[in-house]
Amino acid sequence: MKKIKRILTSKIFVTLIWIVALIVVWELFAFHVEQTKRTPENIQPHLSGIVDSLTSSRKINGSQTALQMVMENAKATLSRAGIGYIIGIAAGSVLALFMSLSGVIEKLAFPYLMLIQLIPILGMAPIINAITGDIAKSRIIIAAILTFYPVAANTLAGFKSVQKEKHELMYSYAANKFQLYTKTMIPACIPYFFTGLKISAPMAITASILVDTLQGGIGLGCLLSQSLKGAMTRYVFWDIVFFSAVIGILSFYLMGVLETILCPYKRIGKKE
Amino acid sequence: MPKKINVKTAAGSVIYPTLFGAAVIISWQTGFLHKLLKTDEYVLPYPTKILHIMHENSDKIMLNVQASVKVALLGLLLGSLIGYFIAIIATVFPKYGSGGLTIVSAFNAIPIVALAPVFINWTKDVSEEAEVRSMVAKVLVVTVTSMAAMSVNAYRGLTELPPFSDDLMKTYAAGKVTEFFKLRLPNSLPYIFTALRVSVPGSVIGALVSEYFAEYIIGVGRQIRENILIAQYATAWAYIITACIIGIAMYIVLMIVETIALRKRK
Amino acid sequence: MRSHATHCLLFYICERSGLVSDLERNDIEIMLDDVGMVYDGADGREVQALTSVTMDIHKGEFISLLGPSGCGKTTLLRIIADLLQPTSGKVLVGGETPKNARLKRRYGMVFQSAVLYDWRTVVKNIELPLEITHQSKKERHERALKMLDLVGLSDFADHYPRQLSGGMQQRVGIARALALQPEILLMDEPFSALDEFTREKLHIDLLKIWRKTNKTIIFVTHNIQESVFLSDRVCVLSPHPGRLSAVIDIDLPRPRTMDIRDTPEFTAFVSKVRNSFEGV
Repeated sequence: MKKIKRILTSKIFVTLIWIVALIVVWELFAFHVEQTKRTPENIQPHLSGIVDSLTSSRKINGSQTALQMVMENAKATLSRAGIGYIIGIAAGSVLALFMSLSGVIEKLAFPYLMLIQLIPILGMAPIINAITGDIAKSRIIIAAILTFYPVAANTLAGFKSVQKEKHELMYSYAANKFQLYTKTMIPACIPYFFTGLKISAPMAITASILVDTLQGGIGLGCLLSQSLKGAMTRYVFWDIVFFSAVIGILSFYLMGVLETILCPYKRIGKKE
Repeated sequence: MPKKINVKTAAGSVIYPTLFGAAVIISWQTGFLHKLLKTDEYVLPYPTKILHIMHENSDKIMLNVQASVKVALLGLLLGSLIGYFIAIIATVFPKYGSGGLTIVSAFNAIPIVALAPVFINWTKDVSEEAEVRSMVAKVLVVTVTSMAAMSVNAYRGLTELPPFSDDLMKTYAAGKVTEFFKLRLPNSLPYIFTALRVSVPGSVIGALVSEYFAEYIIGVGRQIRENILIAQYATAWAYIITACIIGIAMYIVLMIVETIALRKRK
Repeated sequence: MRSHATHCLLFYICERSGLVSDLERNDIEIMLDDVGMVYDGADGREVQALTSVTMDIHKGEFISLLGPSGCGKTTLLRIIADLLQPTSGKVLVGGETPKNARLKRRYGMVFQSAVLYDWRTVVKNIELPLEITHQSKKERHERALKMLDLVGLSDFADHYPRQLSGGMQQRVGIARALALQPEILLMDEPFSALDEFTREKLHIDLLKIWRKTNKTIIFVTHNIQESVFLSDRVCVLSPHPGRLSAVIDIDLPRPRTMDIRDTPEFTAFVSKVRNSFEGV
């Protein structure tokens, strides 16, 4: 009896219940919409319908099934998001390192770092596209900029979190700056670094999709605007929406898993 | 010994960035920046031209600004309230609430570009007028994005109490409601501001991006896009600068409010 | 022949007059001469953290710096460690400036909290100073295990700090401080965060380690009983301004066991120390 209760109240089970509840609510709305609308799938299709369209082998535009289409476009979008993401991570962590090493650089960069956070970069997507003229490049640039700030800010916070005593310990060993950073500062900032990664992963994906919508070609966003205009069955639209949602959430959890693998010491419980 | 260094440090924090910013603006105006980025003055107009356009079209710009800010603020307010409410539920029913929090944070990871069209579809029947329909949809998008930050942080604020403070309430035989209003709510105030620091810029971005997908053509974000589509780059830049100003201004307001609200705690 | 006699005569005269008594005893590890520390306080007024501290600490001694908060004991320790520079006076550690002593790693420091890296295992934490001094991997590991054995924690080599109790963490801190085999051990209230039972056990352990390794130990504490139990000499510091009000020899037999605490001699020393505080 006790074991059943434990399972019932465990985190996984509770989350599952929430998901089931959401699915039920969705379906209820879908039924309601079905009764009252002519083209229900424009507003809110049944989830079964969405699943159907993904698994069916019916060709949508003459050469690909719905699933194939989504996958092909997804590959393009995600690969660019990925490149931008990696560039943003590299640039952000290097800047944080330099800001930690040099007070001058920190003072110089800090207000601009804040500025990047406050400026709606996504809103500037069209203009960056216009400047570079090349849509593939713009996707990468914007994804990089959006990743840059969270990674830089969080990594810097990680460097600053090292307590005074750790600095003093290193000082008492007459350690040089290289040793200080490799043995103390960098290992200490890793948890914060991952917080930055977790925040920016979905944003890089969002950026890539958004830039897609500005111009034709390959990409989830392009597919999105095409399906909205009725170029193909509406279910493709919903497929993309759900797919993007799932990818966004997965990327978040992927970073979490990566962190657990790289930092085993975090999992170990405390001795009382 | 300490005083001298403080002045030097403070001056440094202001002087270096200002010099850098001035350098960028100068290189922009003189065309050096264009050479660097390999672009021309149509796509990247001179600052003076941008300012000129902003001055000339200030009425139209203000109209769009109002539309965007209304969406951002309304969504922010709704999202924060709902988010706080979810945090309260999670506090009162800890086991089921934490699942709810996971779901809400998951919502945060959903790209806005996926949410916006969905909401715009859903609100098709809300009203006869395209303007109102679009407004509702956009507000919904911003609401969802503000919810996540607020709920997670508010939950921490409501539950991460100073040690033994809840025990103290118990020794006074204080009821749950009293404990909430006298302990948990005040404790959560700094955390509310932590959430707002993220959701205020986020609400501006959400408003601008959802304008792209909306039916009715209004809003700073939409204007950026529309003007680029018709190659009116200078006007587009005028709106971009406006968007930046909105973001910065709202954040400054937030900072002021935060300083006033938390002044006693420091 | 004659020069030798003159030498002896001169030496005899000098020694009788007390001029070179300590020169012969060239076992002074740390010399403090009129050390003072002044800084600007929060309200802009000058704070005299230390004034005119003069004393000698001999090799292999166990010295306590005892006093309430604000008396400058931690400041004095940090000056010896070269974590702070005094505003006046002279300090010699092993015949050199504190800075050179630090660069030559002549002391090991134990802080109030263990300052262990929670991303490293216990043995890797002890290897940290050895990595900085570029010892070979094999040497590092062997030395670290030896130190761990010294503090009695060999079974916990591959545990993470989180899994250890506070007392055990401090023992690792002590092992790490000894890793580079310094001549001097500087300890800043290392046991003040622990419960009394753990503390008493660690006192015995520390004295055992001291007997085995013969280091010079400077131990900062605010606990009178602790200072009397552990030390050869107790340096009493009083606040406002921070100053050395007394140096008391603790003539209790060694090795000191728990029972000593119940003897009247021990109590007498505790009273003597307590009464030498000024202005508290």
